[in-house]
Amino acid sequence: MEWEPKLIAFLCNWCSYAGADLAGVGRIQYPPNIRVIRIPCSGRINPLFIMSAIKNGADGVLTSG
Amino acid sequence: MQKLASAIQDMAKKLLEEKKVDLVVGFAGGSLPLRSTPCFIRKPEDAEKLTWDYSCENNLANYLRKREGKVAVVAKGCDVRSIVALINENQVSRDNLYIIGIPCSGMVDRVKADEAVEGKDLLAVEENGGSLILKGKGFSKEVKLDELLHDTCKVCRYGNPVVYDTIIGDTVPDKAEDSFADVAAFESLSPAERRAALAAEFSKCIRCYACRNACPMCYCTECFVDCSSPEWIKKSTDTADNIMFQAGRVFHSAGRCADCGACDRACPMGINLRGMTRKMVKEVKDLFGYETGVGMGEKPALATFTAGDPEPFLVKE
Amino acid sequence: MTNKPDKVGAVLVLGSGIAGIQASLDLAESGYYVYLVEKNPAIGGTMPMLDKTFPTNDCSMCILSPKLVECGRHLNIETLTCSELTDLRGEPGNFKATILKKARFVDPDKCTGCGSCVEDCPVKVDDAFNQGLGKRKAIYKLYAQAYPNAYAIDKAKCLKIKKPKACGKCLEACQAGAIDHLMQDETIEVNVGSVILAPGFDAFQPEQLFYYGYGKFPNVLTSLEFERILSASGPFGGHLIRPSDHKEPKKIAWIQCVGSRNCKLDHGYCSSVCCMYAIKEAVIAKEHTPYELDTSIFFMDMRTYGKEFEKYYDRARNDHGVRFVRSRIYEVTEATDGSGNLKIRYANEDGTITNEEFDMVVLSIGLEPSEEVVELAGKLGVEVNKFKFAEPPSLTGVGTTRPGIYVAGAFSGPRDIPETVMQASAAAGDSSVILSEARGTMVKKKEYPPENEVAGDIVRTGVFVCHCGINIGGVVKVPDVVAYARTLPGVVFADEKIYACSQDSSGQIKEAIEKYGLNRIVVASCSPRTHEPMFQETLKEAGLNANLFEMANIRDQCSWVHQSEPEKATEKSKDLIKMAVNKAALLEPVKGISLGMNHDALVIGGGVSGMNAALNMAAQGYKVSLVEKAASLGGIAASIRYGMKGEDVQSYLSELISRVNSNQLIKVYTGVEITEVHGFVGNFVTKLSSGDEIQHGVAIIATGGKEYKPTEYLYGQNQKVKTLLELESELADGKLNTAKNVVFIQCVGSREPERPYCSRICCTKSVKQALKIKETNPDANVFILYRDIRTYGFYEDLYTEARRKGVIFVRYATEEKPVVEAAGDKVKVTVTEHVLGVPMVIDADMVGLAAAVLPAENNKLSQLFKVPLNQEGFYLEAHLKLRPVDFGTDGVFMCGLAHGPKNLEENISQAKAAVARACTVLAKETIDVEGKCAVVNKKKCAGCGVCESVCPAKAVSVDAAEKVAVVNEALCKGCGACSSSCRCGALNVKGCTNEQIMAMINAL
Repeated sequence: MEWEPKLIAFLCNWCSYAGADLAGVGRIQYPPNIRVIRIPCSGRINPLFIMSAIKNGADGVLTSG
Repeated sequence: MQKLASAIQDMAKKLLEEKKVDLVVGFAGGSLPLRSTPCFIRKPEDAEKLTWDYSCENNLANYLRKREGKVAVVAKGCDVRSIVALINENQVSRDNLYIIGIPCSGMVDRVKADEAVEGKDLLAVEENGGSLILKGKGFSKEVKLDELLHDTCKVCRYGNPVVYDTIIGDTVPDKAEDSFADVAAFESLSPAERRAALAAEFSKCIRCYACRNACPMCYCTECFVDCSSPEWIKKSTDTADNIMFQAGRVFHSAGRCADCGACDRACPMGINLRGMTRKMVKEVKDLFGYETGVGMGEKPALATFTAGDPEPFLVKE
Repeated sequence: MTNKPDKVGAVLVLGSGIAGIQASLDLAESGYYVYLVEKNPAIGGTMPMLDKTFPTNDCSMCILSPKLVECGRHLNIETLTCSELTDLRGEPGNFKATILKKARFVDPDKCTGCGSCVEDCPVKVDDAFNQGLGKRKAIYKLYAQAYPNAYAIDKAKCLKIKKPKACGKCLEACQAGAIDHLMQDETIEVNVGSVILAPGFDAFQPEQLFYYGYGKFPNVLTSLEFERILSASGPFGGHLIRPSDHKEPKKIAWIQCVGSRNCKLDHGYCSSVCCMYAIKEAVIAKEHTPYELDTSIFFMDMRTYGKEFEKYYDRARNDHGVRFVRSRIYEVTEATDGSGNLKIRYANEDGTITNEEFDMVVLSIGLEPSEEVVELAGKLGVEVNKFKFAEPPSLTGVGTTRPGIYVAGAFSGPRDIPETVMQASAAAGDSSVILSEARGTMVKKKEYPPENEVAGDIVRTGVFVCHCGINIGGVVKVPDVVAYARTLPGVVFADEKIYACSQDSSGQIKEAIEKYGLNRIVVASCSPRTHEPMFQETLKEAGLNANLFEMANIRDQCSWVHQSEPEKATEKSKDLIKMAVNKAALLEPVKGISLGMNHDALVIGGGVSGMNAALNMAAQGYKVSLVEKAASLGGIAASIRYGMKGEDVQSYLSELISRVNSNQLIKVYTGVEITEVHGFVGNFVTKLSSGDEIQHGVAIIATGGKEYKPTEYLYGQNQKVKTLLELESELADGKLNTAKNVVFIQCVGSREPERPYCSRICCTKSVKQALKIKETNPDANVFILYRDIRTYGFYEDLYTEARRKGVIFVRYATEEKPVVEAAGDKVKVTVTEHVLGVPMVIDADMVGLAAAVLPAENNKLSQLFKVPLNQEGFYLEAHLKLRPVDFGTDGVFMCGLAHGPKNLEENISQAKAAVARACTVLAKETIDVEGKCAVVNKKKCAGCGVCESVCPAKAVSVDAAEKVAVVNEALCKGCGACSSSCRCGALNVKGCTNEQIMAMINAL
């Protein structure tokens, strides 16, 4: 089986998270290896969250806002 | 150097006598050569303890926070940069500080000196133009000063203090832009190689936190490594946690690090800490054109935003 | 007893585009009940169709959708979709409105928006929302993010409605039982105090102009079609391809003024928005293509007159390489080689003819009022102008010819989004003025049982996993997920629901809370963005704090997007629930915060804007302090003689001043400046140079502007060279009656490197003055030397009239500006004529310089109120598009020239808008905030001030004495930037703590 990276995404409630919802509404298919954490603003992303995610075994972190 | 030392003593004595300050923070000689240590002078008559030589490497900005009364500090270029950064972060009051600026052409790395004399006991050091004569029992060796300086001093462009109340000594000549040649090697690695290189380096870390304690900018009441709610990182010396500690430490010093090298000198395990801090210094300089502590009243690069900030993380499809 | 009926504290807003939404929100927030009447099945209007918006390039939908949600969910806005206003009787303050509610055939209260019906519906229809470029079904949702998030059936296309036995597939698919093909139209009557018309516009139909080839050649598109092509939710998923062969275009042309500035079609007005949207489309199109896209805009005058527009134009030209061709188009034809390419034949400025080939041609179509709306206006007694727009009577900004009816948005005249939003607020403001005595009489408020204290209690989490019909359950193994949820720490109850959002599920959740003593609730279903408030209602009704709730989005972000991977989708659902449960365990009640507030207003600046603001505010019953720096009221209007429609400005002004002076609620301070400002929204204390101290809840900045004193064209050295304002006095006093040659020079000090903005009003002003000269002395020669004539909107009519009356327009290039030399008692003006390219010499009796509009000296005030200025020194609003009179700092608003160059009419409108926005604050008894704000752990704080620097709301500052950060909860928006920047971990955010986020990260 091909290696699949494990991704964690921090998405701003007002834009990117809405975008991810919209992908759902449009039934746009994407791989199921991403876990989304909804935050009130991309300003909420403490760099330590990103480092912790990486340390916990995430292969990639997406921050979007 | 001797002339400088007596000028510093005179200044300290005068400031204390005239009650312009309550304390002078400077350096006192050690029992052995190249072993000067920070010292605190409160009485005019003690001013003669002050010295100046090639081993005044400690960053005295570390001793200025939370002081009552007026304080004078003997400060090299790098000390002043850290002091400016601390003033900009409300940690030191400029009004209560008297900066005795000392232009500095670099401090001697004792490890290099020891290597030069093959680990033999160093008993005396004499200055001879651009060289130092290292003397001990049955040996005397002349070594070019350049070969003995700390790596950090070799690339330092701020030997002349950027802010001071009085300056003692002659200004040192300007240097060329730092090329960050040392960072290039790290930058040329692939992400996987970087991860391996960091793991190799930080597997050595014993989490003594000497680097943090030596840093004038690490002044949090509770460091994130000590926090238990949330527990950002584990307290053991797992390499992944060590990397996270160092990454967090370096990130927290982004736009605030004056590259004084205190962390690097403090590490008992000989970890190349500057490798990481310098990478961050370079990033901040490249991205924001910002250097720490060279302008009064400036906000740290990461504490400001302008519409013109570069956004290299945005990827265009 | 009087016979006058009582006023009704409700307003009918017709049309739910951005104007209708803004007006509704402002009114509802100011204490009025709103009926929002929309003919479509969803609110939103035109904005949802647009891809990006100028000049910020914000995504249109992204900036609109929070407003959609807020409006849709507002307790005091009743949204009536598929509805039309059919009759209005009564008088201002008390109308009876008749509304026809057309059958939707889907009950929006039952419809969950799941979309199962669409998959089974066999009827494909051209999708009007996508301008016919894509297909939709007979049962449809207007657009993906629509509110209400519910489907509707297209009566004309549905098989079952036509023939009851024909179909019915949607009925089978809908597990929520929301569809009813027998639904009937319904007529209702509502009482309202006023009406705001915000019906928007129709796009010009370019088939009428056969020479553009629209409708004949598939690759000639309208600008709206092009917006849909650019949009990620459009027919091609945001991939820039042309409709004929789906080829990526390499070279695109935009043709301006299609259906605008066209007297033959009775469209002798400028549509005002097309220049900017064409530039934006060109810039965004270039961003879309991985290759170098060639873009050309064919135009007559480039009208980038709005705030920050000129810079956008400069960037498009200089940085993005958009080509601008000043030209006249003869025709567009299709290439004969079968490529589908198009040939444009056009005349250049020098008269030469060029043929050029493009892959695609976009027609920048103009705006026109819809016929139905014009008809309705007739029925309502609202007069329209000769172009069929409901142009407001002079100096009202939002009025109509029928008292009690106001107008906002493009139906009042072509305008862009910020001006629409401003006008909508202004219409809300004027409505509030006539209804102020009825404020608060019709609004609803919801009461909840007291909250159970959960502090210190053991965590007892209940998890509800939704099937959403088959939307989730068809992919994710819901029973497995429920079983898994039961094993998670803290979970004492887990259950599955067919529709977690249904009425009975809500009852069951409440029962479970009671029965199992649940104190944390996790719902795994759809998006919290749409459903969290609804579930939080359930919690509140059950006596739990709304913040003890967490959602796992296993539909929109799981089952819908991993339809072919059920195993992995199930795993992902488990992970998402584990994360939610972990976070839920750490949730704490968040209590709302209520602070006292002062209900008085401070207006800074005693010009027309400031005085209108003060009067409008006072008319709503609020006390106002009006502070003017000069010795008397009036501002720059004191030196204006004529309005843009010929109004007598001096008599208007003196009447305004006397109304201000005689108003009991307005206290006027002249000859004073602001020296200190303390406090925040609801609690400001401002000190004046006179020593007076004013306590106020809100502030409106209306510091005005001034006319640039030119250093060029002999100004100040020669008596014959004047600015427009000076010239206007001479004109009014009859001093120009004998002048033979008068020259106007445009863009003096504007659109220059040191002032890269258009002053907006000078073209119209010059044309107006030119006409005045011609009126008194038809034999006078009047020359207007210009760069682009920017007579936007209906002012285009003046431009047409001026040309007809023989005013001579000569375009000059920036590299060859006119030269003005003294010549005895005349001045010699030399200008290089644009058609022949030869110098032309005019012996002028008078030269009028269209000098730039400059801001007042605003630096000090901007610092005192902590509000920003733009590069040119005008105040910078919170958002250029949707918050045009607000600042990022709560409780501070702006209007007039302080915001940017504008004419009198526009300033008045903006003043009313600022008041309406301010009244949304003042209408509240107290300042109530949700409480999801930052908190400081004083023990950890080192007082370094990084939080203060990064806070966009200016809600946190370092206390000088204590040397720790202090959060002002009234201002904090809870964005968390402070917390993320705090190295010491001293700052946390209530409702989204570091601990909670780490618990989610650690769940993985």
